[in-house]
Amino acid sequence: MRERDTAVDAARRRASPRVRRERFKDFLCVAPALAFFAVFVYYPLVDLFRIGFTNWNLIRDEYKYVGFKNYKWLFKGSGLDTWLASLKVTFSYTFWEIVITLVGGILLAALFNREGKAFAAMRSIVFMPKYIAISTSAIVFMWILNDQYGFLNYVLGAFGVGPVAWLNSERTALTSVLILTGWRVVGYGMMIYLSAMKGISKDYYEAAELDGAGALKRFRHITLPLLSPTTLFLFVTTFIASMKVFQSIDVMTAGGPYESTNVMVYWIYDLAFVQFRVDRAAVVASVFFVILLAFTAATMKISNKSVHYDS
Amino acid sequence: MRIISRRSIAVAALLVVAALGANAQSAKQYEVTKPIKIEWWHALESQYAPLIERVVAEFERQNPLIDVEAIYQGSYKDLNEKLIAAHAAGVTLPAVTVANTPYIAEYGASGVCEVLDPYIKATKFDLGDFGSGLKVASSYGGKQVSLPFLISTQIMFYNKDMAKAEKIKLPETWAEMDSFMQKASKVSGGVTERYATVIPGWDQWYFETFFLNNGIAIVNKDGETTDLGAPAAIAVASKLKQWCDSKYAYWAYGKDASSVMRQNFIEGKTFSVIHTTSLYNMYATNCKFEVGMHYLPGAKTRDSEIGGCVLLIPRKNSQEVKNAGWKLLSFLTGKEVNMLWARETGYMPTRNSVTRTSEGKAFLAEKPAFKAVFDNLDHINPRIQHTAYSALSKIWMQELAKVIIEGGDVAQAMKKASILIDEALQD
Repeated sequence: MRERDTAVDAARRRASPRVRRERFKDFLCVAPALAFFAVFVYYPLVDLFRIGFTNWNLIRDEYKYVGFKNYKWLFKGSGLDTWLASLKVTFSYTFWEIVITLVGGILLAALFNREGKAFAAMRSIVFMPKYIAISTSAIVFMWILNDQYGFLNYVLGAFGVGPVAWLNSERTALTSVLILTGWRVVGYGMMIYLSAMKGISKDYYEAAELDGAGALKRFRHITLPLLSPTTLFLFVTTFIASMKVFQSIDVMTAGGPYESTNVMVYWIYDLAFVQFRVDRAAVVASVFFVILLAFTAATMKISNKSVHYDS
Repeated sequence: MRIISRRSIAVAALLVVAALGANAQSAKQYEVTKPIKIEWWHALESQYAPLIERVVAEFERQNPLIDVEAIYQGSYKDLNEKLIAAHAAGVTLPAVTVANTPYIAEYGASGVCEVLDPYIKATKFDLGDFGSGLKVASSYGGKQVSLPFLISTQIMFYNKDMAKAEKIKLPETWAEMDSFMQKASKVSGGVTERYATVIPGWDQWYFETFFLNNGIAIVNKDGETTDLGAPAAIAVASKLKQWCDSKYAYWAYGKDASSVMRQNFIEGKTFSVIHTTSLYNMYATNCKFEVGMHYLPGAKTRDSEIGGCVLLIPRKNSQEVKNAGWKLLSFLTGKEVNMLWARETGYMPTRNSVTRTSEGKAFLAEKPAFKAVFDNLDHINPRIQHTAYSALSKIWMQELAKVIIEGGDVAQAMKKASILIDEALQD
């Protein structure tokens, strides 16, 4: 194997001028994208880590390098409690968004995986919230969830329940944001699963039916395993997107009440733009980046072993 | 002797001419000599759009070389984000921008604003016509880094019809608050039919005046510690909690707290609300009853604080843009424009030449509710300036709201807040 690798390397080195020209052309094709990434992704990322070692506040022209001071604040100082609380809130939010997207999406997909105009219309209705801007939806939900004038409490009041301080109580604020999230994402999960379901060959179901498998068994032993690449895709994309949730929190709760919805990205924003502590925000963002990277890599590694590809 | 005198006179005359020449030269360096287009960033919502258009049109008529684009940038918070991002980038800066008064300390310390003193001196801008509190509120480190624009203060809006019908005496002192709370509220069987007042807990500016008037130093003179954990501060916080626990008042907290509070007042669900004078027109227009304004009760002192916004010129602009910006800034802070704002909004007149003259009387004839403010002009102080004030206010608001709304030990909450605040101030 090693000998073969060495031979391939040698062949590469001996590439003809024509091949080298082709490779250069290939490089030129991807160069704009690489330059874009270098300027807008990699450079800011490197600078983010650098800023974490300074006392810069974003608006001062001069700043000093302060070593690990900001890291000490995060891991040993007053930042620790808020960081742990924020991590908990972020993971909690992410967990529920993934559950809603995957479970809700697959159930709705199973329900709406039928032909007919009525089902097409229902699919559109369920999917539509995804197209509405988050800030617009969030403002509408703020009205629905308002404890004094809200529609939800009005309805609950008719049954003798409440009033509930949906957005203003630390016990219900995150749930309230998740209500909006669920309303937005469940249709998206459904559509992705639906398209994957349409791709599953009917032969499998006919064979299983001949063998006497019921609907539940067919779903459990055919649909679910063959949907696993889609589940992996939805899991990874939802995980990354939900860990970065910001807009709905900014509009509906501003991280409150009492930091009960203080997700990581909102906290970073608050440190940088409200408290003028860009140095601390950079440290929190750097650590969060590492956490996200590690989780995503681990997810990919674990899931590669348990995903079934229909090929 | 006569010769010397003549020489002296001649020298003096020459000096005067030279000084005038220098001043003329100095003023000339801030002139706009060629056409320029500038941006003015503001946070004035859509209801003010026609007024802004009128003001800008008048400015452009008077300054034909300058084309102004007034851009609404969202709330003060949104505008702050955009401004500091533009400052960090050094591009896309506006020639003039509004800024909420608490930001001035950080902007001043970080060199975001152009120092206006040379412009004021060279163009003989009448800075002395502003009250001393306003000048301090718009300066940092003894330098004038902005000018007062739309100025307000904390006030208690109350239902004048209810007050007359039920003979409710408004509190002049902190000690009278207990009896006021009982008299103005309607609570039966633990359920509130009408609150005496609503205390805004979403912004510490509204309730900090109660602490300041009780002699509590929110930031001590050393700039590194707070007295918010002291017994006097705990006593004030306990009193606020007691009124809320008794359901005489409620602590308005959360993103929609301001709009809900307004609605409660408009619908008569509360006798009064503590809010900003800038919203006078909004209340007066929407309420079916007569709206009164009452200056907040005092204790050791009876002061309030300046709110609203100032105008500044970002330092990183080119000199041409700064010159055009100064023209606009001095126009917008001028007496005529200020009076226009005062008449058509709830912001206060800022000029002594208005507030202390017959013009002030004419203004009061139009808006008699503002007498409560005019009677206390000397008691409206600049806000506390500290670069860590945003961090301080967040900690304080959060701890106070939690203990008042969710329950808990006030002393413990205030002590916890003071420890965190001390750390923020010292860092």
